[in-house]
Formats: sequence, structure tokens, C-alpha cells
Amino acid sequence: MIATPDINWIAILPELVLALGAVGVLLVDVQWKPATRVLGAIAAFTLVFAIAFTFLQWAQARDALEFGAPGELVAFSGMVLMDGFAVFGRFVLLVMAGLGLLAGWRLFESLNRRGAEAIALVLLATTGFSIMVASNNLVMMFLGLEIGSISLYVLAGLTREKAKADEAAMKYFLLGSFASAIFVYGVALLYAGTGQLEILAIRQFFTDFIVTRPAVILIGLALIIVGLGFKVSAAPFHSWAPDVYQGAPAGVVGYMAAMAKIAGFLAIARILLTGVPQLDNSWLPVIAGLSALSMLVGSIVALVQSDIRRMLAYSGVAHAGFIMTGIVGGATTGMLFYVAAYALQLIGAFAVVAVVSGAGSSESSISEYRGLARRSPALATAFAVLLLGMAGLPLTSGFIAKFGVFTEAWANGYGWLVIVAVLASVIAFAFYLRVIVAMYMDETEEERILVSPPARWVLAIAVVGTILAGVLPAPLIDLAANAFPL
Amino acid sequence: MLSWLIVLPVIAAASVAFAPRRLKELHLPLGIALSVLPLALAGYIFWVFEPVAGYQFVQEAVWYEPWGISWSLGIDGISMPMVLLTTILVPIALAASTSITRRTKEFVVYVLLLEAGMIGVFLALDVFLFFVFFEAILIPMYFIIGIWGSDRRVYAAMKFFIFTAFGSALLLAGIIALAVTHAEQFGSPSFALSDLMDVQLSIGAERWLFAAFALAFAIKVPLFPVHTWLPDAHTEAPTAGSVLLAAVLLKLGTYGLLRFNLSLFPEASVDAAWIMGILAVVGIIYGAVVAIVQPDLKRLVAYSSVSHLGFIVLGTFALTSGGLQGAVIQNVNHGLITGALFLLVGMIYERRHTKQISEFGGLQKVMPIFAGFFLFMVFASIGLPGLSGFVGEFLILIGSYATLPILTIIAAAGVVLAAIYLLWAYERVFTGVPDKEENKLLSDLSIREISLLAPLAILILVIGLYPNVLLDKIAPSTEAVLDRIESQTEFVIPEPGRLGDVFIAGDNE
Repeated sequence: MIATPDINWIAILPELVLALGAVGVLLVDVQWKPATRVLGAIAAFTLVFAIAFTFLQWAQARDALEFGAPGELVAFSGMVLMDGFAVFGRFVLLVMAGLGLLAGWRLFESLNRRGAEAIALVLLATTGFSIMVASNNLVMMFLGLEIGSISLYVLAGLTREKAKADEAAMKYFLLGSFASAIFVYGVALLYAGTGQLEILAIRQFFTDFIVTRPAVILIGLALIIVGLGFKVSAAPFHSWAPDVYQGAPAGVVGYMAAMAKIAGFLAIARILLTGVPQLDNSWLPVIAGLSALSMLVGSIVALVQSDIRRMLAYSGVAHAGFIMTGIVGGATTGMLFYVAAYALQLIGAFAVVAVVSGAGSSESSISEYRGLARRSPALATAFAVLLLGMAGLPLTSGFIAKFGVFTEAWANGYGWLVIVAVLASVIAFAFYLRVIVAMYMDETEEERILVSPPARWVLAIAVVGTILAGVLPAPLIDLAANAFPL
Repeated sequence: MLSWLIVLPVIAAASVAFAPRRLKELHLPLGIALSVLPLALAGYIFWVFEPVAGYQFVQEAVWYEPWGISWSLGIDGISMPMVLLTTILVPIALAASTSITRRTKEFVVYVLLLEAGMIGVFLALDVFLFFVFFEAILIPMYFIIGIWGSDRRVYAAMKFFIFTAFGSALLLAGIIALAVTHAEQFGSPSFALSDLMDVQLSIGAERWLFAAFALAFAIKVPLFPVHTWLPDAHTEAPTAGSVLLAAVLLKLGTYGLLRFNLSLFPEASVDAAWIMGILAVVGIIYGAVVAIVQPDLKRLVAYSSVSHLGFIVLGTFALTSGGLQGAVIQNVNHGLITGALFLLVGMIYERRHTKQISEFGGLQKVMPIFAGFFLFMVFASIGLPGLSGFVGEFLILIGSYATLPILTIIAAAGVVLAAIYLLWAYERVFTGVPDKEENKLLSDLSIREISLLAPLAILILVIGLYPNVLLDKIAPSTEAVLDRIESQTEFVIPEPGRLGDVFIAGDNE
């Protein structure tokens, strides 16, 4: 009998469940060809189980830290971590996946037999990104990144009859693979420089040795930042985002954008803050520069967009900049809070787009939102709350999020970045308000809009979450503060 | 108890929001009735308010411990008059809005939420909480201007929002900087005003922070040269919006300067007093001169606000007893007087659908009651002795002369200019014979309209004749501000700048 290594299976339970769920959806579809509703139920069960397992992981992570045995959180010979950071990331990813399924429901149903593929892809993408946030090994991280990204490329082209969607998927795929390649090259150089692939081992390397010629390592890091910067659409690597957000079917854009941002930022934070904190003299200014550039480019270019999706894409660039101020702050609490709050707002906002323009649509001009307050007051209110949340108005989660990352950055000596950030927020107000002007201050005679029940759920959760986390932020901040990486 | 002042308007807003849609015509009366509750509470607080320094009715609840933010409220002689003013004007502004027939429910909800926010700003003792309210009130005001305003409402609303958001962005950066410094010096972050006062700042840092705070508040006041949003916002806003904007929202700026800049950055305040004084005086003269040539009655009143608020800033940075007391009481006076003037302009606009001065003439004959109220408010605004405007401006001028004599002399010219633009406007609108056909058929004020203006007129008269009703309660708090400045800096207020140095109106018992 072969001796089985002692494996902590709990460390990858959520991913296992997700992968099985995805396979299950496909098999059930092939065998019985059930209604999309049945497949949705399977996916929902999968997510519920996966989320339940994250609670288990959270408890274990707390225990291990309490008893001073953080080593127990490193599983699969150093491949995967089960620290609070990973568990928090997974939890947010899973919740967003659930909301993404609800938001895209109309689209999945309208695809008939292809609905199964779409649902399976959502689960697979979640699996990939979930592996990514939990990985300790850079190759493992790359695998997760690719599983997630490739699923997203396909999701972007779900409505392949539409030329726009095709174009978006192709563009996303080409540029995305290019970025992945750059990331891998960076990993290779980092390995060449340190002889390590595990992030914790890289940190140890810098504690044990003094690197006199870090050029290779720095080039490697730079390439990693470029690769991941692309995934989170930080300027100047953002050029794909507006086209993809605009062309991809409205039902899945929110999910795509949110997933890539969550996983990308958690990966950046893990590599920089736990892997190479000793090199922060080198990378802090770079991240600060990217952050300032993203905020300014995103906010300013968003001002002149006439398509709401392009506007949200550029606002996403700006948000990438805001989130990076948290990394510049050298702490993960504010960043985690920001990522969670923003992902929720993003999915909610695109759920509105999917309702107003149609779930399978490509392109949505701001003029479609004229008089929305009349045509569907509840929808307009929800959208207004989400937009103001993104703008960072007090009493929404967006304000607390911004306040958190700005404070961290200021405390870490990056006052100038905070000043750039607050000014960029003012510019951002202008384009969020444009949509509100269209909804509340323009009149139109168009017919009422009906909101489907799944979209209603998404919006209710997003709006309540945005306001609740803005008024009573304590539980979520505490959670984020406890979710520090090993 | 103070929390109720904020919660009551929110409850009122919620009740209106959930009122049945079919009872459309009851939404406004319901809002008015419910907005009397905060007024009653504010009145009670005024009644039991002790004339001593320090905060009263303090309430504190931790909001989020690790960040050091808390829901902490308190009221002192500087904020009490403002709270009272807010609660008085909201029911009046609502009752003046019967001409709003479109989307009434939303309108009432926004006004009530605005009230909650404004009261919150005046009561907050935690800078974070203050900022939350300060920024949150932008939204209801934005909607009030943008939905129910006149032709260029969207432009005006946007301008209003972006200008003030720009100011508050730097304010936010300043608040963060201050709190981070506190955390470095005391080990834990705190946003409580009393804690932040203990922070030791280098003079350079203090000046930068002073500038950040001052810019935010200067935009709100608005001080020259960042005043350009005001005429647009005022002119386009509906009557209730203009009234609340002029009477209360602008006071957030003067209140902020007095409460935060003077207390948190005493050294920089002393250093920058002359700069703020010059800007204030430029505003006084500029606002008055521009007001003279306005063809639009509402714009004229708007520019008169720029001029009058210059006096308040001048008094604040005079750093004398008279100046500060005058600033606080003038906050109230300007709110009452300009609020009333905007109401009057709104009433004539509802009848004639124009605000152009040249369209009127000889209204005295047609609408004697209206003309009477208008003249009363004009005199109050000019500062006729016996009316409240006189008390405020006199205190400010006498107080400022001790420290900023030259500026005070120039500022005094603003009083004369005020007489010119207001009386000239009165002459063109009301005197002579009504020559236009439309003007001959105008109806005079109804009982409802008189009952809106009468309380304001009575308050103006009461404060004018017996200012101690307010000054007794204001003085201890403003003296405390000055004591702090004198103890923290080398600055000694020259005689006769302090209370007791000289005969000062309101202190002559």
C-alpha cells in the first residue's frame, strides 16, 4: 500500500466543490437536458456548500493562529494557503458568483441549451480565481489565473451571434493571454533571482540573504505587476476594459469585472505585501504612480463617455487606482473592504444595465436612462444608491472604503497620493451625477420597465449591502482586519 | 435628546415617503406638521440651555472603536442658534412650497432629509461625523435644485455639487492628516474634536491644514473668489431651496470656520486673520457692487448674501469678543432676513412668473402688505437700528475695528452700498404708479403667506430690540474660543477687543 501524504483537504474544499459542481452541471445537462432552472439550482447548491466550507476554513484559520501554529495553514506542500486573507477572498468571490448567477439569469435562460455552459463557466471561473487568491506558489497562482481568465474570455463571447460580443471576447482573449504570458515571465525571473516559487519562501529568502544586485528580481516583479495590472484594468494597462465591458453581454459583465478585480488585487497584495515587503522601497513608488495614473485617467476619460458601460469601465480604472492606494498604505484591511464593497456595487450596477438594456445586449447609451425615475422609481433609486456608493458619498460603503485606504496611505507617508485621490473623487462625482441627472432630471414618455425577480434580489442585496456597510461598517472592517495574510 | 433632533426629521421623511400615493395633496401638509416636532424640541433646548461655556446635552456612542470614530453630539452657544434657525425655517420653507405640484412627495422627503443633515452638521462633535453630514446634505440639495429648479437647473445643481465636493475633498484629506497625526502622537486614532485640539502641529503643517479646512468652508460661505456657484444655485433653485441654501447651508461655512479653524489651528488662524479679512472685505464690496447692477431680483438677493456673509467672516477673523458674537448672531439674522427676502421674491414670482426688476413698478399701490414686508426686510438687511441686522453688523464692525481697523473702515462702506442696492431695487419695484397691465391685477398676500413672513419679522424685531435673548447664551462659548486662542498663541487681543473692555451692544445691563 502506498503511504498517502497527510493532506489537509479542508484547504481546498471550496474549490473541489466548485469544480465538481461545474462538472455536475455539464453532465446533468448532457444526460437529462433539464430546464435551465434545474441547473441553476445545482449551481446554487454548489455555491452554498462552498460558502459553508469557507466558514469552516475561517474557524480553522482562527484556531491555528490562536494556538500559534500558523504552519497548519500551509497545505499541499506549500501550494495552497488557508490564511484569513485567502478565506476572505474566497468568501467574497463566492458571494459575487452567486449574485453574478442571479444577475445573468435572464441571459442564461435565453441561451437555451447553451445556458448550461454559461453556468458551468461561472462556476469554473470562480474555481480558478478562488485558487488564485489561496495560492502560495506562483505557478499555482498562474494556474488559477488562467482557469479563471479563460472562463471569462468565453463568457464575454456568450452571445456569439453578436459581432460586438465576438469582438469583445477576441480582444479580451488576445490581450489577456498576452498579459498572462508577461505574468509568467515575471514569475520565471523572480524564480531565477531567488530560486523560490513559494511566496512565503521568497519572503524568507529576503530575510536570510542580502541581495546586492536585485535587477533580475525587480524586473520579474515589474512584469508580474504589469500582468496583474492588466487583469485589474489599472492604467496604463486598461485599454481592453471599455471595449470588453461594452461588447460583452450585459448579464455577465458585472460578474466578469468583479471577479477579475477581486482576485487580481488579492494576488498583487499577496505577492507584494507578503512576498517582497523588504523591497518596498522599490515597488511602493511604482504602485503609487500606477495608482495616481489610474485614478486620473479613469476619472477624466469617464467624463466624456456616452455609453454607460464604457463609463463604468473607466470608473473601474479609477477604482483600481483607489484600491491600489490601500496597497501603498502597506496594509490589507482597507483594500479588502474596498474590494468587497466595490465588487458588490459593480455587480449591482451591471444588473441595472442588464435590466434597462436587456441581458444579452451589447452597448447601452446613457440616453436610455432618461427619466428612469419615472419609468421605474425603485430601479432608479437602486442605481442612484449604487452610483453614489461608487462615488464614495458618506453613508455608503464606498465612503468608508475610500476613507480606509486613504488613511492607510497617509499614515504610510503617501500624503500626495491621498490628495490626488480626493481630487480624482471629485472628478468622478461629475460622471456619476450625469447618470443621475438623466434618471431624475430628464423627462421621457417611454414605457415602464419591469424588473425580473432574480435581478430584484441582486439589487436588493447590493443596495442594502452598500448602505449597511456605510452606516455600520464595524463588522465588515473587523472581518477584513482579521483577514491578514500569513 | 440631541439625537432626536436628527432622527425626528428622518422619521418624518420616512413617514412621508411611505405615505399612500393616492393621498397626494396630503404629503406637503404631513411634512409641515411633522417638521414642527424638531422645532418644538429645539425650542425646548433653547429654553433650558444654560448660558455657560462648553457643550451641553452631550451624547456619545462609539461608532467604530479602532478608527476612533463616534456618534458624539453636543450643543453650545455657537451651534444652538443655528439649530434653532434651521428648525424654524424648514416648516416655513415647506409651507412656502405649495406651488410645487410635481413630485411633491419626493420634494418633502428631500427637504426633511436636508434638515436632518444640517442639524447633524451643527451638532457633531466628532470630525468624521461632521464630515459625513457635511457631505451627505449635498445630495438632497442637489436634487432640490436639479428637479424643481427653473430653466438652467441641471447646470446650477451640477455646479453647486462639484464646487462644494471639491472643497470637501480637501477637507477630507485634512481630516485624515489630522487624525493620522493624532494617532502618531497619542497611539490611537481619534476624530473627537476635543482630542484633535490636543494634537501638536508644526507651524507648517498647521498652515496647510488651516488652508484645507478654510478652502472647504470658504467655498460653502462662499467667500470671494470661490463664490461663483452661489448666484446660479440661488437663482435656479425653487423658493424653499433658496431659503434653506441662503439661511442655513451657507452658514455651514461660517460655522465651520468658527468651530474648526479657530479651535483646531489657533496659530494659523492668527497668522491668516488678515488674509481672511481681506477676502471677506473684497467679498463685501464686490457682492454689493455686483448686486447693484443685477436686473434679476433673485440674483440681487443672492449677491447680497455674498456681501453679508463677508461681514460674518470678517467678524470671525477679527478675533475679538464683538467680532465673534456678531458673527454668530449675524448668522441667525442673515438666515432670517435673506430667508424672508427669498420667500418674498418667490411670492411675486408665483404671481408674475418673472423676477426681472424692470417688469415691475408701482407694486406698492397694488400689494401694500407685500410692499410693507419687503420694506421691513430691506431695512433689516441694511441694518436699521432696532432690527436684528443692525445688532450683528454693529457688533462685527465695532469688534473688528480693534484688530483690523483699515479693513473695517472699508467694510463699513458695504453698509452704505447695501442701502443703495436694496433701496434702489425697492424704488424700482414698488414706488411710482403701476404702468404695466399685468401688475395692476396682482393680488396681495394671502393669510397663508402673511403667516409665513410674520414669525420671521417678529424674530427680527425681537433680536433687534433685545439681542441679549441670544447674546447671553452665545457669549460664553465665543469667549471660550478666544480664551483658547490666547492661551495657545502669543496673540493678545488688543483692547478694547474683549468683553468688558468696552461698551458693547448686548452687554449693557
